[in-house]
Amino acid sequence: MGLRDVLFGRKKLKDPARERLFAISTARITLETELDLKPAGAAGVCFKSLSAGEFVRAENELQELLDAVANQSGSKVERHSDELGFEWLVVRDGDFEDLVATVHLIATELQDHGFGPQLLAALFPFGGKFKEGRVYWIYGFKRGTFWPFVPTGKEQERDNAEELELKAKLEQELPIEQDLTRWFGLFDAPV
Amino acid sequence: MKRKAYGRDAGLSLRMLLTSSLLGLLYVAFALVLFYVFNAGLVLMLVIVIGLAFFQYYTSDKLALKASGAKIVSPDEAPQLHAIVERLAAMAEIQKPRVAIVDTDVPNAFATGRNQKHAVVAVTRGLWERLDEKEIEGVLAHELTHIANRDVLVMTVASFFAMLAAVLTRFGLYAGMFGGFGGGRNSNNNNSVPIWLIVIVVSAVTYALSWILIRTISRYREYAADRGSALITGAPEYLMSALQKISSQMTLIPQRDLREVEGMNAFFIIPARVKEGAAELFMDHPPLEKRLAALEQIAREMGRPVA
Repeated sequence: MGLRDVLFGRKKLKDPARERLFAISTARITLETELDLKPAGAAGVCFKSLSAGEFVRAENELQELLDAVANQSGSKVERHSDELGFEWLVVRDGDFEDLVATVHLIATELQDHGFGPQLLAALFPFGGKFKEGRVYWIYGFKRGTFWPFVPTGKEQERDNAEELELKAKLEQELPIEQDLTRWFGLFDAPV
Repeated sequence: MKRKAYGRDAGLSLRMLLTSSLLGLLYVAFALVLFYVFNAGLVLMLVIVIGLAFFQYYTSDKLALKASGAKIVSPDEAPQLHAIVERLAAMAEIQKPRVAIVDTDVPNAFATGRNQKHAVVAVTRGLWERLDEKEIEGVLAHELTHIANRDVLVMTVASFFAMLAAVLTRFGLYAGMFGGFGGGRNSNNNNSVPIWLIVIVVSAVTYALSWILIRTISRYREYAADRGSALITGAPEYLMSALQKISSQMTLIPQRDLREVEGMNAFFIIPARVKEGAAELFMDHPPLEKRLAALEQIAREMGRPVA
């Protein structure tokens, strides 16, 4: 921020650095070799559903966008709504790098179409051979950071100990959200 | 007020007495300087500050509840919590205070109110959900000891002159900027140091010193409350484990869903800290290790198992 911005009170918000999303592609190797966690072959992009007025325009654009993404990347994309009133685009792709690229593409397209503020998070599930249930990495688009999310399966309970361990293990590779009070979960996601 | 059941720590009592008298001495010196340097306006200022102090003292419970967003709950709404508070209050030989809950994930508790009749003890939802019953008892007994020890009164009195000094420093700064204290310029010749400068310096020094002393008193009262909790519950190990749980990183991680929070558009609604007037569990507290060590000592004296 320059002096003039300070003087005139123009606070620039940091660009969320979309490229940080790709850090998960490399982190995946550590997850797999050291923690026995494999990507589940799917990922979800969660965004707030739109008000009725915007709905018709958005609906068309969204469909176009999904078709375009499907053509470009070869990943399968489905749409879901959840009971909390949020929309999900669930991407399925066996190749993890393609999966991440598709998620990035969707996020970029949504932002370019003016849905940026509605964009909430991307969710990457991982699973292990010796592990029941799943481990998730959530990517918050607003701050461009990742945080771990390990639901225990019992209501809204999560395994904080394992989450902190994941943080410690991947600190070097992922831009992890340092403010732990922002580590909100995404329970019962359709991914 | 009788103080019997809370045990004694001769060293602690001595240190408290020493700090308090130091603080008192400081205030007397401050008052003298104020009085000699200028007498006009002093009465007015005293009235203002005393008024503020009284306001703070009489509304401490309401202020703290407002600031923290705590809601008073009836026995029907929180029967379990009320039962625990009732039991502990009986053991601490105080009136059962009102009970409040703060709707936040951050585990915390505080007690406020100028006397037993107006006392409120509040716990956060996070504390209630994350600690087990014995640990909650330990924390609540700590808060009830604050009420029994009348810590709100003690801290209000202790911070009174600090408030005055803060007001005067600011007042002095404005006066210095905009032309002196009530004609002080005329009576002064040009060679001497301007009065407002003296006032600012004295006030600032008083403020800084009293700030340190107040923190010290506050820390001693925390130790006293920990000791009280140990004696009320007879099991300091639960307060120890509660303190460890509360201070661990885990408790920072929220339990809510991202969509829920986003949907309400209320990312950061509740300030984690509560304003003055509340003897909050984590404000101006001694470092955790020292508290644990002190509690361990008490546990050993009581013949309790310590890990």
